[in-house]
Amino acid sequence: MSEPPATEAVQAPATETQAPAINAPALANGDAESTAKKVSPAELKKLAKAEKQARRAQAKASDLAPKPQSGPSKDGQKQQRDSKQTPKEDKSKPLPIRRRPSNPNVPVVKEMEKKPKKETKQTGLFFGHLYSQPKQQSMNGASKDVHPAILALGLQYSSYAICGSTARMVAMMLAFKAVISDYQTPPGTSLARHLTSHHLSPQIEFLKSCRPLSISMGNAIRYLKDIIIKIDPSTPENEAKRGLLEEIDIFIRERVTAADKLIRDLAATKIEPGDVVLTYAASSIVERAIIQAHNAGIPFSVIVVDSKPLFEGKQLARKLANAGISVRYYLITGSSHAVKDATKVLLGAHAMMSNGRLYSRVGTALVSMLASAHSLPVIVLCQSVKFTEKVALDSIVGNEVAPSEELLSELERRDLLPLKSLLPTSKNKEKAGGEDEKADTADVLKWIEDSKNLHHLQVLYDVTPAHYINMVITEYGSLPPSSVPVVHRLSTNA
Amino acid sequence: MAQGATIQAPGLSTFLKSLKTTPVDPSVEHLISLLKRRQIRNSRPCAIATTALLLRVVGEFKGRDASKLVERIRQVGRRLTSAQPREVVVGNIVRRALGLVREVVDEHADGQTPNGSEPSQTPAHSQHDSLHRPTLASSMSTFSPLKHASAEPMHMSVISENMSDSGELVRRPPLLTSHTSYAPTSAAPLVNSLFGLFSQPADTPSNMSTPTGQMSPTSKTTLTAINLERLADLSKNQKELDLKGEVMEGIRELQDELETSDKQIAEVALEHIHANEIILTHTASTTVQKFLLYAARKRKFTVVHCETYPHDHTATHGILLTGKKRESNPDEDGDDDKWKPLTDAGIQVYVIPDSHVFAIMSRVNKVILATHTVLANGGLVAAAGAHMIAKAAKEHQTPVVVLSGVYKLSPVYPFDIDELIEHGDAGSVVPYDDGEFVDKVDVENPLYDYVPADLVDLYITNLGGHAPSYLYRIVADHYRSEDITL
Repeated sequence: MSEPPATEAVQAPATETQAPAINAPALANGDAESTAKKVSPAELKKLAKAEKQARRAQAKASDLAPKPQSGPSKDGQKQQRDSKQTPKEDKSKPLPIRRRPSNPNVPVVKEMEKKPKKETKQTGLFFGHLYSQPKQQSMNGASKDVHPAILALGLQYSSYAICGSTARMVAMMLAFKAVISDYQTPPGTSLARHLTSHHLSPQIEFLKSCRPLSISMGNAIRYLKDIIIKIDPSTPENEAKRGLLEEIDIFIRERVTAADKLIRDLAATKIEPGDVVLTYAASSIVERAIIQAHNAGIPFSVIVVDSKPLFEGKQLARKLANAGISVRYYLITGSSHAVKDATKVLLGAHAMMSNGRLYSRVGTALVSMLASAHSLPVIVLCQSVKFTEKVALDSIVGNEVAPSEELLSELERRDLLPLKSLLPTSKNKEKAGGEDEKADTADVLKWIEDSKNLHHLQVLYDVTPAHYINMVITEYGSLPPSSVPVVHRLSTNA
Repeated sequence: MAQGATIQAPGLSTFLKSLKTTPVDPSVEHLISLLKRRQIRNSRPCAIATTALLLRVVGEFKGRDASKLVERIRQVGRRLTSAQPREVVVGNIVRRALGLVREVVDEHADGQTPNGSEPSQTPAHSQHDSLHRPTLASSMSTFSPLKHASAEPMHMSVISENMSDSGELVRRPPLLTSHTSYAPTSAAPLVNSLFGLFSQPADTPSNMSTPTGQMSPTSKTTLTAINLERLADLSKNQKELDLKGEVMEGIRELQDELETSDKQIAEVALEHIHANEIILTHTASTTVQKFLLYAARKRKFTVVHCETYPHDHTATHGILLTGKKRESNPDEDGDDDKWKPLTDAGIQVYVIPDSHVFAIMSRVNKVILATHTVLANGGLVAAAGAHMIAKAAKEHQTPVVVLSGVYKLSPVYPFDIDELIEHGDAGSVVPYDDGEFVDKVDVENPLYDYVPADLVDLYITNLGGHAPSYLYRIVADHYRSEDITL
C-alpha cells in the first residue's frame, strides 16, 4: 500500500527531466506519459494488485521448491545473454525439460526440475527459457545504488508507460545523463574505470529487471561504455562528465533525431496519392512519415491494425485522425480484411537482425505475411541504431515474455465473472460458498492460476522472415533486408 | 408474435420451449425475429432451431399433397434465410428437409412403378418424366461436374439477392434438370440430351422457351406450377403414402445427426492426433473441444488456443475454464454435464493472443479449425482470424484440419466473398465511451474470415475425412439440385 505515493513521487521528476530535454523523446513519450498520469491512481492500484499477486505466487513457489526456483533464476540471466549459444539444445529437448537451463550436471537437476514444473505454472510452452526472473514491478529490492531517475524510468518501462524501442533508448540515455551528472568518482579510482563497472551497471541491472533491454538500448549502452573507456584518466572529473553529457546529446541528435528526420522524409516520398497505407501497432517513425506525407498535401488514407493487450495502434490512430487523416482501425483478427484494401505496408521495427529478419511487435509477421501474399510492398522504417549483429530464425529462441495476467484486461475479466458458478466444482467448492456475489475481477486471474493445466502465454515480439520485406528505409537510404549487416558494420565502425 | 421473446430472455432455449405451445406461423415469425436480432447465432443453434421449426411445420401441414408440402417448406425457408442470409446453415437445413420430401416421394415412386401403373409409361409423357426425373436428376448432379458447374452461378443469388425472386438465375436450374430428365427416354442419352438443349424449346414452348430475362415474375410461378403439378399427380397416384410421417421421421433423423455429429467427429480423433503433439486451435467450438477431449483420453498433447479477440474471446476463455460455451449454458446444463474442460483431462492448454500465431506456428504440429460454414468449393467461412492462422500454417507447412458437421456444408459457391462476411459491433473493438476515437476513426470488426480451399489440408466431417476438393461430391449427396435455389 505504501508504493503508490512513492512511485508517483518518483515519476514526477523523471518526466520533468525528460520533457524539456529534447524533441524526439518528448514526441515519442509525451502521449504515453500523459495517459499514464491521467489514469495513474487506477493503474497504480492495478499495479499494486498484480504485484501482490506476483509476490504471493513467488512466495508460494519458493516455499514449496526453494532450490529449483533459485537455480533457474540465478543463471537465468546468464542464460538469456548466451541464449545465442544454447538454442539448439533448448529446441531439441522435449517440452518438460525445456525450462531447465542448460546445466552440465544433468542427473542432479533432473529430479528437482520436476517440482517447479508442477508448482509454478510458468512453464510457458517452449518459451520456458525466457521466464528467467519475475518482472520487477516496484522499487522493492532495488539496490541502493540505483539512481532515482533510473528507478522511475524502470517503473515506466514495466508499466509500458514508456514503450517502443526508440523511446526507451532515448529515455534511458537521458536518465543516464542525470546519473552521470550526479556521479562523483570515489577517491582512489578514475572515472573511466569506476563509472562503467560500479556505477552504471547496477542501473542497467535494475532496468533489465524491469524489462529486458531492447536492442537499441544495448547498442546505446555499448556506445556509452566505449566513450567512457576512451576518456583519458587524467581529465578532470568535471570536464569528463561534461564531455560525456555532450556525447550523449550528440548520440541522440545524430542517431535518433536526425535519423528520424531523414527516414521520415524518405518514407513520406514513398506514399503516393490514393494510397492506402497499412501499419501495424505503433511506431513513432511511421507516424511521423505519415504525417509528413499528409502535410505535403498527398491525399491518402491509413489503416491501423492493432492487437491486444497493449493497443498501441489506438494511440497512433488517434493521433493520425487528429491530424486530419482518414483512418480505419482493425484488430489483428480482421487483418486479412484490412490487407485487402491496402496498397502499401509501413512497419516500424524493434530491431533489424543481421540475417535480414525484422524483430518487431508480435503480430507484425502476420501482417507482413498477408501483405506479401497480396503482393503489397512491405516497407520497414528503422534507424540504424536498431540494427544488430544478432541473428534469429524464429520468434522463440530470443523473445521477451510479458506477464500472462496482462492478457486479460479488467473489462474482459468482468465479462468472465458470470462463469463462476460453472467452474469445475472440484476447484470451486470453497469459493462458491464464501464470497459469492461479491466476485472480484482478480478472481478470474485466480481461477486461471488455480487451473493446473491452463496457461496464459504472452510474448512481445516476433520475427518476420526477410522475404516478406521489400525495403528497409534507414538514414543511410533505402535498402533490401539483405543489406542490413552491411549497414550495421558501416554504422558501428564509422 | 414474439410473446416468447418478451417473457424470457430470448434465445434458442426459449424458442424451443415456446415452439411446443405456439402455433406454427407465430413460431416462424418468432424465429425470424430471433435470427434478425442475432439472438440465435452461430451454426449449431441456428440448425437446431430450424430443424425444430421445420418439424413442426411439417407436423402441422394439412393435406397429403407433396407439392404443397415442398412449397410450404420452401416458403418458410425462404423467409428464414432472408432474415439472416449469412447463417447459411438455415438454408442448408431447409434444403435437407426439401430433399427429404423429394426422397420420400421418389422412394415411393420407385416402389410403385414396377408393380403398379404400367400404362403411365408410354402414353403420359409428362407423367413418366415426373416419376423418374428426381432420381435421374440426382444422379446427373452427382456424376456430372459440368452440370454442377452450370448450376453454380445461381447459388450466388442465394446470397446476393437475399432469396428474393431474382430473375433469370432462379429459373435456370429447373430447365436444366428437365433437359436431363428427357435424356434417358431415348437410346443414346448423351447425344439426345445435347440435342435436347436446342430441341427442347420447341417441345414445350409455353414454359421452357423463354427462360431468361424477358419473362416477368409470372414465369416463375408457371414453372414451379408445372413442377408442382407433377408432384401433385404423383401424390394422387399413391394415396397410401404417409408423406408427413416419413418426412417427419427424416427430420428427426436430421436432428439426431445434429446431436451426434460432434461425437462422430470426435471418434476419429485418435487417427489424427499423435502423442506429444502441439495443436493450435481458435475460438470456442464445442466440436473442436470434444474432438480434443476424445483424443485426450488416450494421448497427451498440448493445445495452443488463440483467443479470437474481440469476437468470441469471452466464450473462448469460458470454454477453457469451464469446458462449456457460455451461451449454451442455461439450457444445456443437464444433458451435457459430463464433459469437462480440456485442462481437467490433463491437457496443457496455452491461451495466446491472436497476434502470436506466426511466432508460435513454427513449433505447432497441427492446426485444427472450427468453422462457421463450409462451402461447396472446399473453402470455409470461420471466425475472424482463421485466414491468417491458415495462411501462417501454410507458410510453415503445418497441416490445417477443419472440423465440421455435414450440416454446415453448404451448396453455396463463394463468388463474392465479401457477401459472406458479417461485420459486428465496432464497440467491442473500441468501446463507445471513447467517443472521440469512435468519432474520428473508422473502426471495423469483421466477424468472419473466408479461408480459401488451398489453405486447408483436410476436412473431418461426421462422415469421415475428406480432401477439400472432394467436398462438392458430399454437397451433391446431400442436396437436391432442384433445391439449391430456395
